[in-house]
Amino acid sequence: MKSKTNWFKKDSTQAVLMLSPMLIGFVLFTYFPIIYILRYAFYDSNGIKDTFIGFENFVRVFTRDKTYWNSLLNTIILSFGKLAVEIPLALLLAVLLNKGRKGTGFFRTVLFMPTVISAAIAGLIYSLMFASFNGIVNGMLQNIGLIERPISWFSYKGSAMFVIGLASVWNNFGINMVFFLMALQSVPQELYECADLDGVNPVQRFFKITLPMIGPTFQVVLLNAIVGSLKMSDLILSTTNGQPGGKTEVVMTYVFKYFFGYDGRTIEVGYASCMALVTAVVLAMISLIYMKSSKKLGNSY
Amino acid sequence: MHYKYKKILGNTIIYLLLLIVFIFTVFPLFYTFMGSFKSNMELLANSGRLIPEKFITDNYVQAWKLANFKQYTFNSIFLSFFVVVGTIFTSTIAGYVFERGNFRLKNFLFAMVVSSMFVSLGSLTLYPQLMTAKFFGINKSLWGVIIIRVFGLNVTNLFVTRSYIRTISPEIDESAKVDGCTFFRIYRSIIFPLLKPLIATLAILEFRFAWNDYLMPMVFTLSNPKRMPLVVGIMNLKGTGAAASSWNLMLAGTSIAIIPMIVVYVIFNRYFIKGLTAGAVKG
Repeated sequence: MKSKTNWFKKDSTQAVLMLSPMLIGFVLFTYFPIIYILRYAFYDSNGIKDTFIGFENFVRVFTRDKTYWNSLLNTIILSFGKLAVEIPLALLLAVLLNKGRKGTGFFRTVLFMPTVISAAIAGLIYSLMFASFNGIVNGMLQNIGLIERPISWFSYKGSAMFVIGLASVWNNFGINMVFFLMALQSVPQELYECADLDGVNPVQRFFKITLPMIGPTFQVVLLNAIVGSLKMSDLILSTTNGQPGGKTEVVMTYVFKYFFGYDGRTIEVGYASCMALVTAVVLAMISLIYMKSSKKLGNSY
Repeated sequence: MHYKYKKILGNTIIYLLLLIVFIFTVFPLFYTFMGSFKSNMELLANSGRLIPEKFITDNYVQAWKLANFKQYTFNSIFLSFFVVVGTIFTSTIAGYVFERGNFRLKNFLFAMVVSSMFVSLGSLTLYPQLMTAKFFGINKSLWGVIIIRVFGLNVTNLFVTRSYIRTISPEIDESAKVDGCTFFRIYRSIIFPLLKPLIATLAILEFRFAWNDYLMPMVFTLSNPKRMPLVVGIMNLKGTGAAASSWNLMLAGTSIAIIPMIVVYVIFNRYFIKGLTAGAVKG
């Protein structure tokens, strides 16, 4: 009896006991799903009946499923297109709101606000705003006479992607602005004072001092932003849901629909797993390429 | 004189720019709030007008009573509450054990947990997660979502708590140990109370996450619409064929979903920003 209480009182035992619920949860809900996807990539399965088919799913992705690659391409275009606006905007705002200008606190608080809103809701608001007949954007443009008849924003790939990108920028620029603000605050003031003495103009100051000094943060922020955008799904489901005709489908929603038979598709768990696997590898490759090519940014000072 | 003009001009341009971004930021929110007070007739007929001709609160009454938003709101609160409270305990315990604990395989387990971060499957793990939940019979309610979120070990939270606990002097633990405190007792009586500032941050982060979550609760309530949280309920309304006739409900519902979030943000905005930045930079 005595030895049992001692065993229970041992620090290492208690540590393991305390951690075990989370470890079990982790194995069940994080590790197992990865193994599941690895396994089912080699199966044909409708969720009930499984048949081992070897590499057949991979052959299908790589040779026959053009739509998958289109959705991957869409994801990449959409991500980099919107980041080309979002990141410079966030950086510019951070620089403007960094100094003791009047009203900075107010602007910081308000500009961050969309970031606290769900991506699905952001998409819904934008899809209402840009709706062709009753949307306020068309209504206002008509009122001021810029357009004669309503623009059908979601009927064309280009304009639909534009609205999705806009909604995504709206939903996400605040967080990047805050990251940049944090980085800017760690830049030593003396550097700027020296530069002022040398008569450096604001533009030079930005490119020669600010940017190199925040390089490491910039590298991480951009990586997070790229990976986050490539994994976009809620926003698409709540705006176009892939319409018109699957032209705005992104990779996550495309694969998701195969898993759940969502949106009128038949359930193909095996094939979906295979696409999920291929997607994870592609995303890892993109991150890796990014890390390699942005090394200079990371050690710029 | 010349210098002064240049400065005024510069400031004007800067404030003009900030004003444009301000409008870009606020317009969609303002549109939603204003729209939620318009009748459906007005929404559909006079779409170019921002401010309602006639303010009505009927949309809220309808959404609350007829369109199940009372239930959705309750579900959202339920989900968020349990995710927030549960995660506070599991995250701080995990951070504490990995930082101060001493047992075999600790480093190996930590490496296992961290390495999962590099597998970018995003929402694609939802299906196998649902299958696991089905195995345990928790796939048809929000309890499944709560259990996955609470026990699934969020790596970002783990990093944040672990590095926070690292800043607490180990001498405090040591002296408690000398006094006969066990490992768990040290967590409960010493470490946990010292984590208060961190807990506030964690709570805000998890609240935002749980309140805004869409895909996982959607999947778990597909066959049980009564358990849908707000975001899922609104999206469901959009998905049904009657979308055009329910614009007023969608706008009122959206307002119900985002107002609590914005209120929490405005009150705790410091913790919000601290939490979000801590997570990303450390991770």
